[in-house]
Amino acid sequence: MTKEQRLQKRYSAEKRFKWYGIISICMALLFVALLVTKVLSEGTSAFVKSTIEIKLNFDQTALNLPEKPITEDLNAIDFYSFAIDQILKTYPTSNRDEEKELIKLFTTDFEFEVKDFFLANTNLLNQTVSFKITASSDLDQLHKGNYAKNISEDRRKISNYQLKIYDHFIQNNKITKVFNVYFFTNGDSRNPEIAGIGGAMLGSFFSILVCLIISFPIALLAAVYLEEFAPKNKFTDFIEININNLAAVPSIVFGLLGLGILLNVFELPRSTSLVGGITLALMTLPRIIIPCRASLKAVPPSIREAALAVGASKVQSVIHHVVPLAMPGTLSGTIIGLAQALGETAPLLLIGMVAFVVQVPANPLDPSASLPIQVYLWSESAERGFVEKTSATIMVLLGFLIIMNSIAVYARQKFEKKWI
Amino acid sequence: MDIKIKIKSTNLNVFYGEKQALFDINLEINQNEVTALIGPSGCGKSTFIRCINRMNDVIDICKIQGEIEMDGKNIYAPNTDVVSLREKVGMVFQKPNPFPKSIYDNVCYGPKIHGIAETKDDLDQIVENSLKKAALWNEVKDRLQEPGTSLSGGQQQRLCIARAISVNPEVILMDEPCSALDPIATAKIEELIDELKTTFTIIIVTHSMSQAVRVSQKTGFFHLGKLIEVGTTEKIFKNPTNNMTQDYITGRFG
Repeated sequence: MTKEQRLQKRYSAEKRFKWYGIISICMALLFVALLVTKVLSEGTSAFVKSTIEIKLNFDQTALNLPEKPITEDLNAIDFYSFAIDQILKTYPTSNRDEEKELIKLFTTDFEFEVKDFFLANTNLLNQTVSFKITASSDLDQLHKGNYAKNISEDRRKISNYQLKIYDHFIQNNKITKVFNVYFFTNGDSRNPEIAGIGGAMLGSFFSILVCLIISFPIALLAAVYLEEFAPKNKFTDFIEININNLAAVPSIVFGLLGLGILLNVFELPRSTSLVGGITLALMTLPRIIIPCRASLKAVPPSIREAALAVGASKVQSVIHHVVPLAMPGTLSGTIIGLAQALGETAPLLLIGMVAFVVQVPANPLDPSASLPIQVYLWSESAERGFVEKTSATIMVLLGFLIIMNSIAVYARQKFEKKWI
Repeated sequence: MDIKIKIKSTNLNVFYGEKQALFDINLEINQNEVTALIGPSGCGKSTFIRCINRMNDVIDICKIQGEIEMDGKNIYAPNTDVVSLREKVGMVFQKPNPFPKSIYDNVCYGPKIHGIAETKDDLDQIVENSLKKAALWNEVKDRLQEPGTSLSGGQQQRLCIARAISVNPEVILMDEPCSALDPIATAKIEELIDELKTTFTIIIVTHSMSQAVRVSQKTGFFHLGKLIEVGTTEKIFKNPTNNMTQDYITGRFG
């Protein structure tokens, strides 16, 4: 081979490798784009809901109120019958079945929507106002175009009669889409139109908080001890191997640990974010210790020597100099560990956070779900209305992950500048 | 002026694991003098001075036999407090290693942890005096809150000297303090060492023969962990008794 040929070969090899790299990156981006497009196209519609505008006539006699109503009178109002009366006025029906079909187009919670609205605006007594009542999930899906209309009636969720009512509402401009507040404030529900991730978000928040409070101090102290104080011998090697192993243990094993020890031995309350948080902390601990040790190791030994040489004790040199310098790496490692914990599903399934919880938890001792669990629960539901909600929950979860990871990157860049 | 012995090492042997780094070192360091330690790389000079403030304690595998006496007291006696020893024996390292903090914080750290200063004013005074003694005050007095790492290499090394003298040590150990500096910065540090010796006892490790001649009164020559020859600097460089010393200082080996 001549010199020119060898040169040619080297050049083409370099070009080839460059293309391999570009192709791999394109593949990775393609997969991400696929995921994002699917989630976005399915999920964005969950952030709005369809409402039906109805006229509410808060007539004193219709509400069965005395001349001067007091609070007890207001609480005694039968809003169910009142709301049904108002709903039936929206479309002329001729028999009980038709009435039922009409009522079914509204959310099952119509009674409470009307009640909350009236109790918040009691000055509307004896007035007629128009009020947007949440539509049932089936009407919502129909309005969003997720139901085919041109198939036989028995295969449809919406009957021909309901379609007629729907067309009537559309002609009178009664159906509007509004921002779906329920999705962010409500707990889970069997009815897609009132189901939300409020409970799951708070559950996730409490779990991550418990996880942070437990895992960060323990991980930092463990890392500091192992890196700065522990003698280098077989035993510390053994500990190191174990930490690395624990970081790779499948998370469901930690779920079993939580089930076996936290629930069965210590009898902590089942399905709570406290137990979820402790279980996640066990899982996250080794995953935080490893980056903490790495960032401690990255602090130059000359800093330790400088501190010792002016007469700082070992502990002083570590607390005053080494740990603060390692903080950026430590913090970003912790945040990334927590982000992993946030997306973790398997261990929470085992400690019962998979239960159907309607109530939004008020503290870590209340039963609750978590975001990934909510995705899992809704992805199994039969109703069409949950499909978009599943994707929307994934979007919220991904949003939190992106925020946390960005904070980690930002913290690292911002604070690391200081000591160069 | 009568000469007083500040530090005396007797039959000092140092091991790193299986490997012996120092063999029976017997050396006396005089008070308020500059003692230079010369010798080829890896001959144990740094190991020796790191024994004087017990910096080798940090290394797990390092074992020390023999005695080092400071003011007649064995610093390796079991009841010696390492922290107060290091308060008395300051150290300046080969590479400038200021803390990544402000210039002020660099100097006040030592006095703070030892509780030398009672008030903020005392602390300010100590910082000013230390920086003045280290001939750095005029260059940094207007920017004490700037990071110490933003200074030039020579300034950083003088900052490290200021940090070392801020706790009023009796002895200052210098491990090749000028090896990372240019000739001008080196000249400044050498001048400084000359002034500092009126207050402190200084031991300096150096690879520069001319530096040893310029700054020191006494010189010890190390080779392969043994102290080959020790004497006044004048005698060592003009009239060494050992052939190896002769060869080393004339540049024939090492």
